[in-house]
Formats: sequence, C-alpha cells, structure tokens
Amino acid sequence: MKGLLALPQWLWAQLRHEVLVLPSRSFVFFAALLLLLLPLAYDDPYVLRIITMTAIFAIFAASWDLLAGFTGQVNFGHALFFGIGAYTSALLSHHLGWVPWFTVPVGAVMAMAAGFLVGIPCLRLRGSYLSLATLAFPLILTGLLFAFPNFSGGELGISGLRRIVNGTVGNYYVAVVLMLALCFGMWKIGDSNTGLIFHAIREDEVACRASGINTTRYKLLAFALSGLFAGVSGALYAHFLRVAGPSSLEVALSFQVVIWGIFGGIATIYGSVLAVFLLYPLTEILASFDIFKEIRLLIFAVIVLLVLLFMPQGLTPWIRDKIEVVCPRCKNRNVFHRHQCRLCGAELR
Amino acid sequence: MCRKLLLPVVAALGLAFSQGVWSQDIKFAILGPMAFVQGENHWAGAEMARDEINKAGGISVGGKKHMVEIIKIDTNEIQSVPDATNAMERAITRDKADFLIGGFRSEAVLAMQEVAMDYKKLFLGVGAAASKLGLNVEQNYDRYKYWFRAAPTKDVDLARTLFAVMGSVAAQIRTDLGKQVPKVAIVAEKTAWTEGLIKAAQANLPKMNMEVVGLWQPSAVATDVTAELSAIKRANADIVFTIISGPLGIVLGRQMGELELPAVAWGINVEAQKDGFWQATAGKGNYVSTLDTYAEVEVTPKTIPFVRAFKARFHKSPIYTAATYDAINQLKVAIEAVDSLDPEKLIPYIEKNEYVGTGAIATYDKRHDLVWAVGKTSGIAVEWQDGEKVPFWPPQTKGMRPFKLPKH
Repeated sequence: MKGLLALPQWLWAQLRHEVLVLPSRSFVFFAALLLLLLPLAYDDPYVLRIITMTAIFAIFAASWDLLAGFTGQVNFGHALFFGIGAYTSALLSHHLGWVPWFTVPVGAVMAMAAGFLVGIPCLRLRGSYLSLATLAFPLILTGLLFAFPNFSGGELGISGLRRIVNGTVGNYYVAVVLMLALCFGMWKIGDSNTGLIFHAIREDEVACRASGINTTRYKLLAFALSGLFAGVSGALYAHFLRVAGPSSLEVALSFQVVIWGIFGGIATIYGSVLAVFLLYPLTEILASFDIFKEIRLLIFAVIVLLVLLFMPQGLTPWIRDKIEVVCPRCKNRNVFHRHQCRLCGAELR
Repeated sequence: MCRKLLLPVVAALGLAFSQGVWSQDIKFAILGPMAFVQGENHWAGAEMARDEINKAGGISVGGKKHMVEIIKIDTNEIQSVPDATNAMERAITRDKADFLIGGFRSEAVLAMQEVAMDYKKLFLGVGAAASKLGLNVEQNYDRYKYWFRAAPTKDVDLARTLFAVMGSVAAQIRTDLGKQVPKVAIVAEKTAWTEGLIKAAQANLPKMNMEVVGLWQPSAVATDVTAELSAIKRANADIVFTIISGPLGIVLGRQMGELELPAVAWGINVEAQKDGFWQATAGKGNYVSTLDTYAEVEVTPKTIPFVRAFKARFHKSPIYTAATYDAINQLKVAIEAVDSLDPEKLIPYIEKNEYVGTGAIATYDKRHDLVWAVGKTSGIAVEWQDGEKVPFWPPQTKGMRPFKLPKH
C-alpha cells in the first residue's frame, strides 16, 4: 500500500516543487492539460482541426528556434526541412504504400540528414550571408521536384495520402501529444549542456573554440536536430492535409516561422510554441467575423509589429520578466511577489 | 400574468418565423480567394444566382419553397493551402453548408476536395483545371463521387481548345497570306505550369503543318521583352503562341505593338481576358488574342442575358469563375428534379443529365469532368481589335466576328 502511494506522492511533490512554484511553468502545465482534455469536453471538428494544425506548426516553429534562437544560425529556408519531411513521407506512402507510422519517422530522418548536409556548406557563413544562403535551398528542392513531375507530382504535389489515424479526435491527439513531447524534448536539449554550448556559439564562437569546444560539430548537430523536428512536423502536415505539394517549401512558410520565432521570443522554445498558438488561430478567429474578414491579414501584421515594437525580446520574455524575478545570487527564477529566493534564500529586492 | 405574457411571446415567435429565423434555407458555401479577382467573380456569380432564384420563389423541395443562402468563404488559397482546408472545414461544420462551390488553386483544391469527401458533401469545382481532381473520381468512385467539375474544362481539354483555335488561325494565315506553313514562336512565362503545354505545342504544331521557330521563356514578372520580340521578328514568326498567366501578358502585348510585330498573339494570356487590357497596354495590344469564357455571343441561349446582367450590375465582364452562377442553378435543377437535398440522389441525376448553363452545355464523363466539345464546353477565343475585345471562335457560334491579321 505504501509502495502504491509512493508514485503519486512523488509526482505531487515534483508538481508542487518544480512546476507550480513558477507562474510560467504552471501556465505551460495547465495549457498542456487543457489541450489534452479539450476533446472530451468540446469536440467541434473545426476547432480541433485548427488546433491540430497549430500543434504541427508549433513543432516547426520550435525547431527553427532550436537552430536560430539557440545557436544563432538564422535560417531563412527552414521550409526545406518541413518540405523534405512532407515529401519523403508522401512519396514513400504513395509509391511504396508504406503506412504513415513508418513514413513519418523516415521523413524526419531524411530531414535530419538534409539538415546535416545543408549545415556543411553553411559552416563557412555567418550572419546575413548564412541566412541568404539558406534561403536558396528550398528553391533548389522545388526546382528538382518540378524537374521530375512524374515522380514528385510536379506543381500539384502528391495528394490522396493516408491519414495517420482516422477521425478528427484521433488526429488531434497524434498532433498534440507529439507536439508536447517533441517541444519538451527540444526544451530539454536547450536546457542541457548541449544547449549551453549552442548558446555559447551564438554569443561568441571564437571564445567557444578557445574553450576547446568543437563548434563545427555542435553547429552541424544543431542543423541536424532542427531538421529532424521540422521533418516530423512536415510529415505530420502532409498526412493530416493528405497533400504534400510545393506550398510546403514556399518562401512564405520559411518567413512565417521566423515571425513566430521572433514574436514569441528566441531561444526559449516555449516562446515559439506560444506564438503559433496565438497567431495561427488569430487569423481564423478574425475570419469568423464579417467585419474583419477582408482586413484580417492587416490586423495580423499590426499585432506583430506592435509586439515587436514594445517587446523587442519577444512576447514570452516580456511576460516572464513581469511575473517572475531572477535571483541575483543563484540565478534561479522566483514568482514576482517573493522577497526571498525559494532555493538559496537570497534577498530578491 | 401568464396570459399577459402569452400574446407577446406568440407575436415574437410569429415575427421570428416570418423573418426566417427558423426558415430552412438551402446553404451554398462559395469558396474562393475573395481578395483576388477570381474570388470576386466566384461571389458575384453566386450573388446573381441567389437573387434570381429567390426572386422567383426559391428552390422547391418536398412541396416547400426554400430560399437560397450563399455563404462567403475566403479560402486564402493563393497564399496558404492549410487556410483553404480550414475554410472548407468551417463551411461544412460551422456554417452547415449544404453544398460547396468554388476553389481556384489546384494544389489547394486537391486538399479541399479531401475535406469535402470526408464529409460526403457535394463539391462543384469552379476554377481549378487539374486533371487529378477528376482522376480521383475514376480511381476511387465511392469516396470522390461527390466532386464535379463545373468549370472550366480540365487542363488537357484546355490544351485541346488551344490547338483547335491555333488550327483555325493557321488556316486563315494560309488563306489570307498564302503561307502554307505558318511560323510559330512559343512565348511561355518561366513557371512550372507552362511546361506541359510547351511540350505539347512543340510536339503537335509540326503535325499541324506549322513550323516552331523557337521557344522564349521570359520571367513571369519581366518588364521588358523587346529582346525576345526582336528575335521573334527576325525569325519571321506569324503567330506568337502565348502561355502567360501574369502581368507579362501586358508587357508582351504592349511591346508587340511598339515593335509593330507582323504577327498575331494567340494562346493563354490571362491579362488579355480583362477589360482593362487595352488601357494597360496603352492601346498597343492590337491582335492579342486569348482563350476566354464569357462574351456577348450565343454559346448557349443563357450566355448573352447573363453577361449583360453581370456587366450592368458589376460594371465589368465576368471571368470564368463567375460560373458559380451555373453551379448553383445546376444544383437547383437537380434538387427539384429528385426532390431532395441528398447527395446520393443528386449525384446520379447530375451524372446522367445535360445542363445548359451560361458558359457551357455541361455533360459529365466517368471522372465527373465536363465532356469536351467545341461550342459546348470548349469556351471561346477573343481578339483585341482597336480597343475592343472581339470574340471570334468557335466560328459557328452566333455572334462571333472575324479574326483579323495584322497588316503586312
């Protein structure tokens, strides 16, 4: 009996001491819980569809943040990995009849390999030169796909793909659960020693090398990991929409992910996720009102501009700085109304 | 107290019923890129159909008249495929549309088709030409049978029309100019969709006793094509076969006039379909001709009244996506014939019966594609002649006027 109670007690302790102590973590916890429970209380297919798409794009946005935010390798062609994931999964499914449970991981691995390969020529480039070079890769792939229309479906892409699971609710859970798991994974990577090195490369690569870190290896790792996660989102997208077409490689998609990443706050992971969850449904919500239908993209642009004007670090760092304070001694975060650090007891103000 | 309340409640309920709060309108979702000219025409055509049907008393089902309600759904499909699928889902599950009409960008319509088929909703395509949409019906009838292509004909048939008109133009050159093997210069914008048509032209034109003098592929956004046109002039081309959907069509028309190129331009030139083409080319776009759908000619007995009414109401000519008018009316006829809104009953009726619309006389094949026939579903060809868009093909259609060649 005591053993049976041990696990819930441990979970509660973790929840109480690690999650509920900070507003930001509490918010993430309750938001995740809400997402998981939503279909039980409200199964409107339209709402579930929007959240499913949002979850898929959240993985994509977080994968960009892992590369551009943490490592400073600002990628303007991130749709390449998304498109490779989508097309690989679609081609395997279409030509070989493989099931999505198999094609999605293969698509992700192909995108990871692409990330590694793209990373190699990009090692010699920095700043805007790197960004412009990465912009070219999805265009090259689009050209290749158009060159072999019988294989790739040309400008129409590949349609009629199988869904991963049947039913709106099933697809919702696949997307949401994967989003939560993968974004948590990316956040943990960012919080690990590897993430620390990514940060260091972004801040000062020369100093990083002087410290004996093989920055080439870590930059390639960042490209590959980012490609892997973006590939998952691309493959999920293809099987959810049942179409993988050139739109999955569009320049607009590459810029969309940059907007999400910067809007939410770079090098946070959760910032990009929150940005997608705010901005993607926003245009849909506006489309529901007749008076906003025609100007919804204008409203979207104004909101993004205002946020970036008044919150230059992005939305989540701004909010977090308002509701939490950093301990001057141990650098841990505390809820804003505390006077003493919850961990080291130092005076907070 | 209760009696005092009863009267106002009954009166309110009566008023509500008379205002149609609980009336069972038949809902048609009109899906299109509403910020673009294609979507505007989707909506305009649907508005005309709604007003005419409702003015005549609505659609009769089960002995009752039902009003037509059209729902404007902006798919944003030119910019985003996911937006288009979300819009389709909203139309079906939120707006509770009975029928779905529209679509434009083929990649997006393929994705929208999947959503519509999931819900077994009749989806009449007005805008996308991709053959794949119909192929789906043939390959998996039970799932895709709810799709019908109301306009235009599929891409392969558009090519058939192009070459049919080309044959007619070449015949006139042979007769009027005595050139037995007319020379053709192919000018196609450098985009993916033109590739198939270029190959078809290069393969078919020599078989039609024409000589292809070269292929020029300027950028889709080029602002100057004098170099290409000079080369075409030196090659003594009689026909410039255009495959252009964007603003390049204006540049080409204007500069052909400036260079006084002794050739006609025939093919696809979307800009030349618009009323503002002549002004946009500064009056230089003479002899530019293109495929089109609507003009004041008697493709069917309904064409001229529709075009006139459209022009009177919207002060512009309709483009092919205004065939939402036909799609709604076609469904009205089918609904009244089978006396039901059930797609399972409507599908066999639409499959078997001819419908005379404003832009075409529609009959369907096993792919639910329009059966191509000159003068029935082929569309028309128009040529700009001294500031006027003149319809000239198919010549047997009442109202067509002669095709003119430039002076040599």
